[in-house]
Amino acid sequence: MVENKLVKIVGKENILDNPETLKEYSGDCSFATPKTPACVVRPANIEELQGIVRWANEKRVPLVPISSGAPHFRGDTVPGVEGAVIVDLRRMNKIIRVNRPNRVAIVEPGVTFGELQAELAKDDMSAYIPLAPRSTKSVLASVLEREPILMPGLHFDSTDPMLCAEIVFGTGDKMRTGEAAGPDTLEKQWEIGKAQISPFGPTQMDPQRLVSGAQGTIGIVTWISLKCRLLSEVSHAFLVPSAYLDSLIQLSYKLTRIRFSGNIFILNRLNLACLLRRTPQEIAALNDKLPPWVMFVSCEGYGPLPEEKVQYLEADLKELAESYGLKSETAIGGVKAEELASILAKPSPEPYWKLRLKGSCDEVFFLTTQGKTPEFARIMAEIAQQQGYPARNIGAYIQPVAQGTSCHCEFDFYYDADNQAEAGKTRKVVAEMANKMEARGAFFSRPYTELVEVAYRRSRDTADMQKKVKGLFDPNGILNPGKLCF
Amino acid sequence: MKLTKEEYKVLEDIVGPEYITQEPVIMESYNQIWGNKLAFGDKRHNPPAAVLLPANVAEIQMIVRYCNKTGILFKASARAFEYVATKLASERGILLELKRMNKILEIDVKNMHAVVEPFVTVWELQNAAGKVGLYTGKPGVGYTASVISLACCHQEMTISQLYTSGYGRNVLGCEWVLPTGEILYLGTAGREEGWFSGDGPGFSLRGILRGRAGANGGNGVITKCAVKLYPWYASTPMTYEMKRQPGEAISAAMLEKVPENYHVVVLTFPDTEKMMKASTEIGQAELACIVAPAYLANGVMEEGNDEQYAKMKDMKPQDPTKAVRSVPVFVNGHSTRELEYRKKAVMAVMKKWNGYLDPEYNDPRELAHRFQYQMWSVGTSMRPTGDFMVSIQGADGSTEMHLNYRPVEFDAFKPFVSRGSIVQPNMGMSYRPMEHYSLGSSGGIATGYDPWDPDSLAAAREYMDLVYDVNSPFKRFSYTNRGAMMQVEDIEHIHQRWGPIYDNADVWLQKVRNMLDPNRVADWSGYIPPEYAKEDKKAES
Amino acid sequence: MNWENYEHDMIRCTRCSYCKYIPWRFIKNFNFIEGCPSAARYHWHAYASGGKFNMGYSLLKGKSSIDDTFLDVLYKCMMDGSCDISCKVGNDIEPLQYMQELRIKCVDEGQMMPQHQPFIRSLRQEDNMMLKPRAERGNWADGLNVKRAAEEKTEVLYHAGCRYSYDKEFWPIARAGVTLLQKAGVDVGIMGEEEACCGGRAYELGYVTEMDKFAEHQMETFRTAGIKALVTPCADCYATYKVLYDKVGKKLGVEVYHITQYLEKLIREGRLLLKKSLPLKVTYHDPCHLGRLGEPWIHWNGKEYKPKGGLMWLHDPPKKYRRGINGVYDPPRNIIKSIPGLDFVEMYRIREYAWCCGAGGGVIDSYPDFAKWTGAERLREAKAVGAEAIVSACPWCKRVFLDAAAKNGDKIEVLDIIELIQQTV
Repeated sequence: MVENKLVKIVGKENILDNPETLKEYSGDCSFATPKTPACVVRPANIEELQGIVRWANEKRVPLVPISSGAPHFRGDTVPGVEGAVIVDLRRMNKIIRVNRPNRVAIVEPGVTFGELQAELAKDDMSAYIPLAPRSTKSVLASVLEREPILMPGLHFDSTDPMLCAEIVFGTGDKMRTGEAAGPDTLEKQWEIGKAQISPFGPTQMDPQRLVSGAQGTIGIVTWISLKCRLLSEVSHAFLVPSAYLDSLIQLSYKLTRIRFSGNIFILNRLNLACLLRRTPQEIAALNDKLPPWVMFVSCEGYGPLPEEKVQYLEADLKELAESYGLKSETAIGGVKAEELASILAKPSPEPYWKLRLKGSCDEVFFLTTQGKTPEFARIMAEIAQQQGYPARNIGAYIQPVAQGTSCHCEFDFYYDADNQAEAGKTRKVVAEMANKMEARGAFFSRPYTELVEVAYRRSRDTADMQKKVKGLFDPNGILNPGKLCF
Repeated sequence: MKLTKEEYKVLEDIVGPEYITQEPVIMESYNQIWGNKLAFGDKRHNPPAAVLLPANVAEIQMIVRYCNKTGILFKASARAFEYVATKLASERGILLELKRMNKILEIDVKNMHAVVEPFVTVWELQNAAGKVGLYTGKPGVGYTASVISLACCHQEMTISQLYTSGYGRNVLGCEWVLPTGEILYLGTAGREEGWFSGDGPGFSLRGILRGRAGANGGNGVITKCAVKLYPWYASTPMTYEMKRQPGEAISAAMLEKVPENYHVVVLTFPDTEKMMKASTEIGQAELACIVAPAYLANGVMEEGNDEQYAKMKDMKPQDPTKAVRSVPVFVNGHSTRELEYRKKAVMAVMKKWNGYLDPEYNDPRELAHRFQYQMWSVGTSMRPTGDFMVSIQGADGSTEMHLNYRPVEFDAFKPFVSRGSIVQPNMGMSYRPMEHYSLGSSGGIATGYDPWDPDSLAAAREYMDLVYDVNSPFKRFSYTNRGAMMQVEDIEHIHQRWGPIYDNADVWLQKVRNMLDPNRVADWSGYIPPEYAKEDKKAES
Repeated sequence: MNWENYEHDMIRCTRCSYCKYIPWRFIKNFNFIEGCPSAARYHWHAYASGGKFNMGYSLLKGKSSIDDTFLDVLYKCMMDGSCDISCKVGNDIEPLQYMQELRIKCVDEGQMMPQHQPFIRSLRQEDNMMLKPRAERGNWADGLNVKRAAEEKTEVLYHAGCRYSYDKEFWPIARAGVTLLQKAGVDVGIMGEEEACCGGRAYELGYVTEMDKFAEHQMETFRTAGIKALVTPCADCYATYKVLYDKVGKKLGVEVYHITQYLEKLIREGRLLLKKSLPLKVTYHDPCHLGRLGEPWIHWNGKEYKPKGGLMWLHDPPKKYRRGINGVYDPPRNIIKSIPGLDFVEMYRIREYAWCCGAGGGVIDSYPDFAKWTGAERLREAKAVGAEAIVSACPWCKRVFLDAAAKNGDKIEVLDIIELIQQTV
């Protein structure tokens, strides 16, 4: 039975409680235990959202905010308790502003990368996009989840590309952060030239850091402003193959140290094949032709004299690669670098690339330093072998972040979810791998489902403090309980 | 009442008798800092009850726990160059001077970060990092600034923040003694695998460590911090090539040439707007490591004020607008190709906006001096007028916003111009673009005044009152950076006035503060009080 | 100028703490960044000159009084002037002169350090601060064939100074000094037993009248003896005669040289030939009283003002501050560089910003451990640059270095520049 108050807030047509819908929202593609929500509400604006949050406080009803469309993979949108209310924010799907002079966009939760890219392209801009996100992925959600972007040289801080945000805390209070704070509406701020690009504060705290990586447990974000970049007038892409990840890491260290301007990341052959091909057979065929590891580097020409810029970047890249016994190629194994480049500018074409091989994927990712990634790759291979898990079903993605001072290290376990044995084995291998890697220094900074326990093993003090922080911003614990350490 | 004998004894037992004092004469050297006259009406404010020099985290924890037991206020400081560093809200307050915690614990060359203790200065880190091809940004406050004070506790506005960022964004983890005495490690701080991340698991507690400014000692003690480092392409840290002619004073010792792999040029444009737009374009294209609109200071000082004045009198009349139409641009390159491209591209932007190279600003020696002054932490001097304040601390944001903001500040300052009792160099322009302009620029407008000249002091106070007036034209531009300047909470009531029109940010900050410090022993003079003492001026709607 | 007249300086101290360090422009090694021994050794800001400005200000405002701690802070200071140099890179205030006036105030008001009293008594009764009988003053020159200036007309007076006169270990150096001058054909004489203290150390302690008395005595003595030039191997004496007497208005009426200046001239003129090779890696320690404190006094009498419409503090007439530029730095270096075989390497803190040896300001007598600590720090620096020997130009420096080396078991050689020349001439 839907609460009358909720009906008054969002309107009856924006409350869904039929069994099929509830089933849809009760679980996702992860190993999170499904829990049936009470209903799904779809607010249109911040006022409605605040109404929902205040109601939830009165009634002590948990809320689970969702911004992206299915399929979900990480368990963060699966209710942690029975009877929660899903707050589906996708009706709030405006691109509030695109501002070319300041290379900034303001988006609501329901905006996807495809939509944003199309809008930004009109002003010769692009988002800082993660690696081929799914078409239903919310830009806001991706940014809040701290998904790594592909240009480490321009990734200054863990929250990048997020700038300012409008937040509704668990109390129902709202706050605009950074330069967006203040007595004026956004429109009035634009009148005096403000562009919501300075992310600090207000004053002596950074609330936007409290909602970044929080999985909706501290506040619900109704819009963010985010850094965008200029579209390159000239762009040349290169692939650097290697039998050994170690060699590529040396080159990666160098490129990130000099703040090389462009996309830089490393994939193992399987993940590259999954990105470039659609069917399992095509993937397998390409996989066999590719070297074990491939670095992708793009030379981006924007700003003045773009051709000359790309020219020098290419020459530098060639020289640097050679200094490590590597070669920067425009094609390898029948695959052109430009082919990969063209994928990177947009969300993944269907089917989502992580579902192509086996239909399901369990991602395990953590932060580490670039130099440690070969060790983790070896551990992964060892465990896979010990457990009899086919290594050919494990993808790898190494993304330097924070200008190379750390590195997102990801292993993607492709499996058939309908095959219980396979699913069970995957789950077991992932668990063992996570434990071993954590013990070897993997930092699960964005933990989901079963990895939460692993993540907090050596961060009990962080958990204690986070609970106190949550006690301020969500004193009744209504926001997404059961996530993180809550 | 200051400390009882028993309280002193307990503290003495923690640090050892050599490292604690409450001698009145010595206490009087912890309460007299520039800016005091403006803030407190006199050179000196109340002295601390005692000063301690703890050796390590364990001692700090014990001290803090004891403060929780007894209600003694505490505040930690490094070099204590700003008056928020020593001001205590109660005479029953102690200072923890962290000079014994002065090591660079690690420079991780590969992963480009350093782990430092509180007394490590920016200069020290710059030199140590420079030896291994790395760099930490140059703050305006001078070479003795503590790395941790900047990154975690106060501001961290740097001239080089175009490419070295600032305002806490370089923190990769820290060891934090909370006001309760517990220790909190942010991210991977303290772990064998390295201090490479300060965030998580989950959301980042850097969100309560600081914002645009830190807590100025009001939320505990940061005892170790990892900071991100940036590439440095010269062959030596700070070339140690400071030259002076025989018979010249030390202040004449300057760098003679710009180091290899760097190039400095000053571009001048027909008007300020074109200069700002050109600067933005150069910055956004990542062509430079420093773009400093209108910041023409180059650290060249005559020996003394008399010599400086004589030189000024001898100078040919200057076009007063030239400085505000000009921008120093520093270019770096890891390779010759990169450097050459960037140099060429900068020139292309200059031409596009009808700029030119004014010979007065582009003498090679002059450029070398500029490099030294704007790239490296140098000494700071308040010799000309005796003091300065950074007025509104600018507003932070886009070029367009700054161009709109300028007349507001200009108009506000106009009445003071004719009085001549406070001065703003370069007509108040001073912007520090951040992260290739993707965060806009932070504004910092230095205003010189003489605290010991009654007229100048009165004018300075009037001006600051205007800046702090929540109903002034500045209302729309900036509260976000409060705490960044030297606002002392029990005097300025900044949060109380401004918070309500900024989504009650003050209420949240106060909650955070009180959560961190339930027994109210971490001094809040540079932070936010646990509760407001009385009603203060509100914003008109 | 009375200490209260430094109120302007007290209030303008910004607490930048640069007084504790050498000027940033010359920092080459972060292990040797400190300039002020007091601030380096003792923990509290009060021990820096900035802290002493604070002390004075609160005294002025009646917020504190002179007690034991006040005196301890004030006198645990070599009055070496490093703070003064560093401060004045960016400020127009006078830390050293102010601290001097504070000491004078304390003595004037009877706030005297007990540790100083034996030395002041010795000065008053025996004309020296070495606690030795006056009658033994000339013993260092026993058997030396040199004119006694009190009896024979002499143009150039070799003034040994108290340390050389009474520290027996150093007599060979004192003797060598005068012998070198004679070898170069200089018409030189000594006062021997008739020599008296310059009074400079007493002045530094705050005993103005003592120095006044000795200044009067010296003026009269030199006039009577027809002395034209005074050469001294002691940097303390050099600074007293050259700078302090002028400061207090005592016209000595003779040219004043430190022996390194004179010897440099003789070497340059070919009157002293340095023949023998001396294969040794040496570094040179600038004595404070020869270097920054040896800069001639600049008299100024005027007032502060602000120009119309301006905020800068100026002086009428313009005031030239002593910033250490014109101390004696090059003559000793030139001597060392002209000695065959010597490998000369500079330390990190040199010239105007040299680290003190530890002897000055009365510290060698009242706080000997502090003096030795300071000296040991300098030896550490000498070793850090790879020197086998540290060379100085003042017996007080040599004494402290030797004592520090003995205490710590340091093997580094401690030489005076006279010894170097003597070995090679």
